[in-house]
Formats: sequence, structure tokens, C-alpha cells
Amino acid sequence: MPHHQRVTVRALENLSLTLKHGDRLGIVGHNGAGKSTLLRVCAGVCEPCQGRVNIEGHVSPLFTTSPGLDGDDSGYENIITCGLFLGMTRNEINRKIADIEQFTELGDYLSLPVRTYSTGMLVRLGFAIATAIDPEILILDEGLGAGDARFAERAKKRVDALIERSSILVLASHSDLLIQSMCNRAILLNRGSMAASGGVDEVIEAYHEMSAKQAEGIS
Amino acid sequence: MTPQYHVALSDITHGLIDWRMWGRLGWQETKRRYRRTMIGPFWTTLSLGIFIFTLGLLWAQLWKQDPKSYLPFLCSGMLVWVMLSTIITEGCAVFTAAEGLIKQLRFPYTLLACSVVWRNFIVFLHNLLIFILVAIYAQVPLTRHSFLVVPGLLLVFLNGIWVVTLLGLLCSRFRDIQQIVTSILQVAMFVTPILWTAQQLGPRFTKFVDYNFLFHYVEIVRAPLLGQAPSDWSWFVTVVGTVLGWGFTLYLFSCFRRRMPYWLWGAVVLASLVRANITGEFPI
Repeated sequence: MPHHQRVTVRALENLSLTLKHGDRLGIVGHNGAGKSTLLRVCAGVCEPCQGRVNIEGHVSPLFTTSPGLDGDDSGYENIITCGLFLGMTRNEINRKIADIEQFTELGDYLSLPVRTYSTGMLVRLGFAIATAIDPEILILDEGLGAGDARFAERAKKRVDALIERSSILVLASHSDLLIQSMCNRAILLNRGSMAASGGVDEVIEAYHEMSAKQAEGIS
Repeated sequence: MTPQYHVALSDITHGLIDWRMWGRLGWQETKRRYRRTMIGPFWTTLSLGIFIFTLGLLWAQLWKQDPKSYLPFLCSGMLVWVMLSTIITEGCAVFTAAEGLIKQLRFPYTLLACSVVWRNFIVFLHNLLIFILVAIYAQVPLTRHSFLVVPGLLLVFLNGIWVVTLLGLLCSRFRDIQQIVTSILQVAMFVTPILWTAQQLGPRFTKFVDYNFLFHYVEIVRAPLLGQAPSDWSWFVTVVGTVLGWGFTLYLFSCFRRRMPYWLWGAVVLASLVRANITGEFPI
């Protein structure tokens, strides 16, 4: 009688981790391994039911590009609201506006309601706001991208600069290349537990071995 | 669940203090109501005004009341009631509507409750225009008691914040509560002396009104608007309500604040796993 059972999902267990200034941690693992959950725990969005999370400093989580974006508000209004939610002050936001205008290339569109934007324009705006912050601890999900191919290169530069400004980075990604270029240490998650931890290359190697073994097991 | 009072208290204080943020959220919401319409929120004012004028005159006739005393009474009561009931109904959806934010940022949730109360105050100020017109027509006196409207409103707001936080929390777990609240409010409007006066009920039933706490929340704003002083009993009930309400909310918020993001996810899981009975424990 499956519907009488309580389904309990243990998303993370037996995980211990300390990050210090200068650490750039990459998290690898299959879909459903707990990467996003770990990011959310680090961000303080989800509190663990057992264990402790100790955060010193301001955490900036970027899971989707635009927290609090409202379709009926203009681009400029959204820059302010989202900026405030991302922990910027009004002065900081005002200083960043020129930079956002320049990156998004939206021109007069910024005075129009965001609802009138094309998907690409919306992504650009959200991305520009999210990457305008000066993060202490940056939590980045790989979903943060700039879609549009013409912007891909500039977007990458912008993310690089953002990471450069941060003191600590936690990045979850399926891309070996991204982890290798951005991180100086890594962990491998498997079903909510830490399967490997250490240097980027060895963890990625462990990840591929694990994938290969599991593929064998299936066939 | 062990209550984490320090987390809840820090959420509440940070939320209340961050007036820039909730001020902006409430203001933007009001601005949105003005967009693409000519008079924006004044539409609700207009329909409320028509309701008050037509039914006010009709009922004054039916119940053999002087329109000059009945209209201001009905008008002030309706304005306060509309504000109270909208705060309560919007409170039910406050956290579910902000799902996207709650799932990706850590911020004081009380902030959202403050913004609901603030934007309803802005609407109240719009509606106050009707009362001013009625007050001029009926020559409602401006007395020293009129100034009691300030503490009266402050007390209503202070209660509004706990009500919104509490209902928002409960509704993020049990979506049914919203329906229950709406049904209760519909009935409450008729059993609370807003359309009729407590005196009309006769001495036998005054207890019925004395123990209706919603009446007292209406009264602490309505009486000053009419230039009268609210009774001591009304102040007592509302102050006790504030203390008890905040106490209870603080307790529940301390216990369940940390679970709320999971509850908001829970609904997503419930919808996809039709037969699974997922409780608030740890659904992802």
C-alpha cells in the first residue's frame, strides 16, 4: 500500500566541510546526488534537520538569475528591487546601473515593463543584475547562464570577474571544464554523501570512474 | 520541534527594521495597480463608495436611522473592515506567493508581512477619501478623541504583522486554511457590528458583541474617526490580543520557520507524486 507509507528522502548525510577565504569549491555528481541541496544548505535557505551550518560573512546565492523580478515593473525598477534582495544598498545599485546598462545593451527598453522583453533580453537583464554584486561568499548553480550565443563570451567574462571578486566560491556544475578553470578544490557527491574530496583533477577522475562503474552495472 | 527563538526574533526585528525593503515592495505593488488604468486603486474606492452611499441610505431608511449618523458609522466601519479583512486574506498567500524568493534567498520573512500591511494602509488612505466626503456631509465633529486614530491604527498594524506571519506560515503547510479563513471572514462581516450598531442588538445580546474581538479591532479605529473615544474594554481586548497573538506567532514561527521552505517545495512534490503521502519532515 504505497500511499500509506511516508516517503522520506534523505537528501544529504554525513557531510562535513570547512571553507576558508580563497577557497573555490567545485561540487560534482549526478543529477539528484544532492548538489543543489548542498548549495541551498550553504546559502542558509534550507536548514538541515541534523547538524550545523556555520556561516561567517555575507552569502550571495545565485540559483536563478533574478530573485524578485516582476513583469509589470520596468527594467530600472527591477534592477533596484532585485539588487536590494541580493543585499546591495541603494548607493551600490546606483553605482552599478551604468555597468548593467552597458552589459545588457537594452537601452531605452530598461524604462519599459520587463513583461515586454523577449526571453533573451530578460535573461540578459536578470544575469546582469545577479552578476553585478560584490559577493563575499558566492554560491553558484551552473544554471546561471546567459543563453544567447552572442552574449555567451561576454557572459563568461562577467562570471569570471564575479568569481574573482568573491572571497569564497561554491560552484555546482556538470561541466568538468568549468570546475577545472574556476575551482581549486572539489568534492564528489553520491546519493547525498561525500564520495570523494580533494584536488579538482582527482575528484573529477573519481567522478568519471564512478560513472563508468555505474554504467557497467546497468549494462 | 525545538523552538529556535533567537532565529525567529532576529527574523522579526530585521524584518521590521528594514523599512526600505518592505516600503519599496508595498509601494511597487501599489504602483502596479495604477498602471494601464486611469485611476488605479481608486476603482476599489469608487465601488466601496457606491456601496456605502446606496446601501447606507437604504438601510438608514429601513432601520429608521438618521442618515447623518448612520452613513459615517457605516463608512468608517467598512473602511476599517475592508483593511482588516484584506490584510487577513492576503496574509494567507504571503509566503506561497513569494515562493521563488524564499527558495533561493535567506532573508527575514517578516519583511513580506510588513509589506502586506503597508500596502493595505496605502489602500486605506485612498479609501479615506470616501469618509472625508461623508464626514463633510454629515458634519462629523473633529474632537480631541479623533487623534486616537493614530494609536488605533498602529495597534491594528502591529496585529496585522503577526496575523499575516502566522497565517502565511500555516497556509504554506495547509493550503485549506485559506478557504477556511475566507469563509469565516464572510460570516464575520455580518456578525460584527459594521452594518448595524451594537445598540440595535438590545441589552440582552451585548455580550455577543463584547466578546467579538474583531469588533474591538474595528472599534479602535472607527470610534476616533467618528470623533469618539473607544471604550476601555476595546483597548484592553486589542492590547491583550496583540500580546497573546505575538506570543503564539513567535512560538510557532520559532518552531517552523526553518521548515517553511520545505513546505513550499512539498507542494511541488505532492503534485508530481500523486499517491505519496509526504509530510513536512523533509520532502525535497
